[in-house]
Amino acid sequence: MTKQSFKTRLEIAKSKISKKKLYKNNQPSSSLGTAFKMSTELVAHVVVGTIIGFILDKTFGTKPWLILIFFFVGVIAGILNVVRSAKNMQK
Amino acid sequence: MANPMHQFEVNRIGPEIKLGDIDISFTNASMFMVISSIAILIIFNLGSKKNSLIPNKIQLLAELSYTFIAKMINDTAGSKAKPYFAFIFSLFMFVLFCNMFGMIPYAFTVTSHIIVTFVLAAFIFIGVTIIGFIKHGLGYLKLFVPSGVPVVLLPLIVVIEIISYLSRPISLSVRLFANMMAGHTMMKVFGGFVISLGIVGGWLPLSFSVALTGLEILVAFLQAYVFAILTCIYLNDALNLHH
Repeated sequence: MTKQSFKTRLEIAKSKISKKKLYKNNQPSSSLGTAFKMSTELVAHVVVGTIIGFILDKTFGTKPWLILIFFFVGVIAGILNVVRSAKNMQK
Repeated sequence: MANPMHQFEVNRIGPEIKLGDIDISFTNASMFMVISSIAILIIFNLGSKKNSLIPNKIQLLAELSYTFIAKMINDTAGSKAKPYFAFIFSLFMFVLFCNMFGMIPYAFTVTSHIIVTFVLAAFIFIGVTIIGFIKHGLGYLKLFVPSGVPVVLLPLIVVIEIISYLSRPISLSVRLFANMMAGHTMMKVFGGFVISLGIVGGWLPLSFSVALTGLEILVAFLQAYVFAILTCIYLNDALNLHH
């Protein structure tokens, strides 16, 4: 009887600890950090895509086309990465 | 009203030093970098000098920050990243102290200049790339080719992956710089409102200013944390290659 009660008490304590850990992983400061991360990444991808397009345009002399294409590729990359990190967060 | 951007001006301290055509004189920016480095050294020297079982305040601070960073590295980059602990720890502490020293009135915020944060980010980017190539050889390029993608889409995906790899230093540096600069400008603007509205209407911007100071201290810590944790994530990509 005493063994049984000890076991159940142990299990209850263990589940309490794991709940606390879960809570700790979802600290508000770290989720604010991911929010900052995602917002700047969205912008940075577009900027990098445009810069790559600009440089390629200068080297190949195809003035407006590559910068346009790479701008949109940058937009796609930014959105894709934000979606990817949002999926990672939900795991 | 005082110019809110005046606080970001870099002034020379002492004599002008020139290396060829490059001006390498000692400025207020370099002074605050030196101050924060010395503060870090003093705190951690005092904290690790006397290893008593019941720690005093400074030792507790040093031990807490050590376990904080060690746990962060272990959680995000795994046990393989242990040799890089010293680098990430000093990076976090440097950014944190620069941000925090910037919160002192009349102090200069080093991290509110993009060149400082970009140099840090570029250093990390180049270092992580070199580590990746050393650990995996040319297999590191597999990072750009995710598995399970149809062949038709592959050229587009590879370009997208390259763009997202190259955007790392930019997003890393712009995030820190923009947050610090925007926050400090906002604080100065509200401070200016207090003066120009006088004793009658100045109370509202003053209360905003107090609230913003608290928010800025949070942001100063958070940005240092984000900077360090993203370094860990990039290091994780380089050390454990699985995409």
